[in-house]
Amino acid sequence: MIRFVDATKIYSNGVVGLKNVTVRIEKGEFVFVIGASGAGKSTFLKLIMHEESPTSGEVYVNGYSVHNMPRSEVPHLRRSLGVVFQDFRLLPNKTAFENVAFAMQMVEASPREIRRQVPLALGLVGLSKKAKAYPNQLSGGEQQRVALARALVNNPSVLIADEPTGNLDPKTSWEIMQLLEEINQRGTTVIVATHEKDIVDAMKKRVLILEHGELKSDEKKGIYINED
Amino acid sequence: MKIRTIRLLVKEGTYNIYKNKLMTTASIITVSITLFFLGIVLLLAINLTSNIEVMKRDLDITVFLKVSASDFEREEVAAYIERKIQEGVVSQYRFESREQAFENIKNDIKNEALLKGLTSANMPESFYIKLTDPALSDQVITEISQFSGVNTEYGIGYNKDRLERLEGLLKAFNYIFIFLLAVLSVVAIFLISNTIRLTVYARRREIEIMKYVGALDSFIRLPFIVEGLLIGLIGAVISYFMTHYAYEWLQHMLNSILLNLGYTTLRMMEFAPVAFQVFVIYAIFGVVIGGIGSMVSVRKHLNV
Repeated sequence: MIRFVDATKIYSNGVVGLKNVTVRIEKGEFVFVIGASGAGKSTFLKLIMHEESPTSGEVYVNGYSVHNMPRSEVPHLRRSLGVVFQDFRLLPNKTAFENVAFAMQMVEASPREIRRQVPLALGLVGLSKKAKAYPNQLSGGEQQRVALARALVNNPSVLIADEPTGNLDPKTSWEIMQLLEEINQRGTTVIVATHEKDIVDAMKKRVLILEHGELKSDEKKGIYINED
Repeated sequence: MKIRTIRLLVKEGTYNIYKNKLMTTASIITVSITLFFLGIVLLLAINLTSNIEVMKRDLDITVFLKVSASDFEREEVAAYIERKIQEGVVSQYRFESREQAFENIKNDIKNEALLKGLTSANMPESFYIKLTDPALSDQVITEISQFSGVNTEYGIGYNKDRLERLEGLLKAFNYIFIFLLAVLSVVAIFLISNTIRLTVYARRREIEIMKYVGALDSFIRLPFIVEGLLIGLIGAVISYFMTHYAYEWLQHMLNSILLNLGYTTLRMMEFAPVAFQVFVIYAIFGVVIGGIGSMVSVRKHLNV
């Protein structure tokens, strides 16, 4: 469960990232966060991951008080979150399998667990056959699947996707979104920041709209409202 | 942290050293030069100190009697010296008679005109005293000055002062040495931290992923610390061999020079007996410099 209570983030250069946002995301929800560039989508996600701390207000994630968190707790918070990005961020000198395994090695999983879990995660994203391929041998969609497998392999309760389809063609984007929905149906909370109007409109999920850092609307089965 | 994790992270640190060849080499060379400088100066200082001790032990106290001194007055001084031998203060002494003194001066001064009218009766008798411990010299000089036969007009000859000046110089030299060492260490630390900074930059993607998947801070830092420590250690090993060969070369050269100058007691010591200590000092110093260097960089550039 994620809860923002009157959270405000003002960066040191004076830019307002987020302004008085109060919102609650329940376990197992699928939420789109939309808005123009600079509207606060990234700040919203960064506050969840403790990449930034709120200037004022409170942020609670999976039982952690993120707004006043001791440094030593941060890794534990992040283990309860999985993250994927627009640019995939795979390690180029590791195979798909090794990229996913890396996430497990970093939380000190045993080699046996790694051998068991990594193929499961790759299977879940439909990439069992590409385990030995390096990122440059994979298409964009396949790379994002590897990134998803990596994000999911440690069984996080929340999956955060920052513009996951920003670098992909429409057909591949749809496939990734369907995958996210499948992941959500297995019980993982999914939060997707995006600007893809068609997808948001078609999926009929909860939509948070941010504008100049403020939460402009929060619709249960929302659509992408474009002012312009 | 589990063993296999440490192994994984150490492997990363070692791998970084390869990937960053140029900066790594520069850092290793700086560490080597810093330690080499440290070692050579330290070894020379040890040599100087031990040789000054030898020189002090060899030093004579020269006691001239008055030309007018009677046999009784001479015997008095001789008895005092004998007593000091019993007490273990004086190790040995030599007496120079008027005749011997005259012979010596005739040998020293070849000019007949200067010696004209001079006979052995004009020459004073003298004692040359060697002490067991140079520190006792003040006491002996004070006591011996009390005898009526001793000529104190020109003081009692002892070259201790000159040696003490030399020791003072050595101390001043030590301060300069410590200062230079500090400067070189800072340079080494700076270069190492820069090398690590490059690695941090080259591995920023990996670090980012490690953060997102919830790796502990210590996991993220360890490879960089390993890299710094290894640079320091490799530098230390190279420096040890440099010091070994350079010192032995210096030792042989200086020893033959000393021998040619007629010093039989002054010698440069051998390297072998101190080799292990030198190595340990180098290793510790190298590891400390490397550790500090990587810590500085990790703190500054690795926002975990």
